[in-house]
Amino acid sequence: MTSRTRHLPLIAFLAAAFLFAPLGTQAQTNANQSSTSTHGDRWLHVRVISTNSKGETVRVNVPLELAEKVLPAIDHDRLHNGKVRIGCMDCDGVDVRTIFEAVRNSKDGEFVTVQSNDADISVTKKDGQMLVHVHEKNKPKHSQVEVKVPMKVVEALLSGSKDELDITAGLHALAGQGDVELVSVKDDDNTIRVWLDSKNVTD
Amino acid sequence: MVLLAKIALGFGATVALAGAYTFREGILRVDVDETRGNGSHVHVWVPAAIVPMAMHFVPRLKMAEAGECAGKFMPLVHAVAKELQRYPEADLVEVHDGQQNIRIRTHNGSLLIDAEEPGQTVHVVCPLATIDDVSRELAAFAPAS
Repeated sequence: MTSRTRHLPLIAFLAAAFLFAPLGTQAQTNANQSSTSTHGDRWLHVRVISTNSKGETVRVNVPLELAEKVLPAIDHDRLHNGKVRIGCMDCDGVDVRTIFEAVRNSKDGEFVTVQSNDADISVTKKDGQMLVHVHEKNKPKHSQVEVKVPMKVVEALLSGSKDELDITAGLHALAGQGDVELVSVKDDDNTIRVWLDSKNVTD
Repeated sequence: MVLLAKIALGFGATVALAGAYTFREGILRVDVDETRGNGSHVHVWVPAAIVPMAMHFVPRLKMAEAGECAGKFMPLVHAVAKELQRYPEADLVEVHDGQQNIRIRTHNGSLLIDAEEPGQTVHVVCPLATIDDVSRELAAFAPAS
C-alpha cells in the first residue's frame, strides 16, 4: 500500500464525519426544540365523539402558534391576511361590535337570562370571561351548550377595522390564556369539546 | 491490484456517503393497496433527497403549468410545512368513522397520512423538509398576482 493509498480510509472517515456532524447537531437541536414545544406551546384541541352505531370520533390538535403563522398565508374568499371580513357585523339591525364593547366595559354579571319550556339561555360575564350557556329541553334532542370566551380574545378579535374579525390577533390572545375549555356541547348523540392546553395529544 | 483497491474503496465510500445522506434526508413513501376486486397495489419509495434535485430536470414548461395550477396554494403549503417542522412528533388529525379511519400526524420530522377503509388503505410518508423545498420551487413558477 502506497502512502497515498494509506490515507484513503482516513479521508473517507473524515468525509463521513463531516457529513454526519450536522446530523448530530440537528438531532440535538430538534430534541431541544421538541422539549421547548412540549413546555411552551399552546395547543387547541377539538374532540367530537358520536354515540351513534358507527361510533364516529374526530380529534384535531393544532398548535396555536402554527395556526397564527399559517392563517396570514391564506387568501381565500373572506379570509385575507388573518382577518375575516364580516359584512353582517350589523346583524338584523344589531351592532354586534357595539354590544361587545358595552359588555367589555361593564362589570361582571348576568346580562341575558331566558327561561322557557324549550330552553334556558344565559349570557354572563365573570372573571374576564364571557360565558354563554344554552340548555335545550326539547325532547328527543336534549342538549347542553357552554361557551367560554376570554374577554381579551374578544377584544383582540375586534381589534381590526369595523367589518372584520382579526383571527390572528384572537389566536395570539388565546395563546396567552391558561388551560381553558372554550366550547362544550353535549346532546343525546354527540359530545363536542374545544379546549386549550399545553399537551400535544388529546386525553 | 492497488488501483482496483482504490477504485473499490472510492466506490464503497461513495455508496456509504450517498446512503448516509439519503437516510438523513428521509424517504418519500406512498403505499396504496386495494384489496377488493382486481385492486391495484402501488408502492413508491423515493429518497426524499432526490426530489428537489429531480425538479431541476423537469422541463420549465411543465413546471410553469404546475406553478399555474398549484402555485397559489404554495405559500400556504410552505408556511404549514415550515411550521410543522417545529413539531416533529404530533398527532394532528384523527377521524374514526365506522370502518373508515384517517390519521394525520408528524413523526421523525415527516408528515404521515394514513387512510383506511374496507378494501383500501393509503399510507403516505413525506419529510416536511421535502414539502418545504418543493413548495418553494413551485411557488417560484406561480404567475405573479
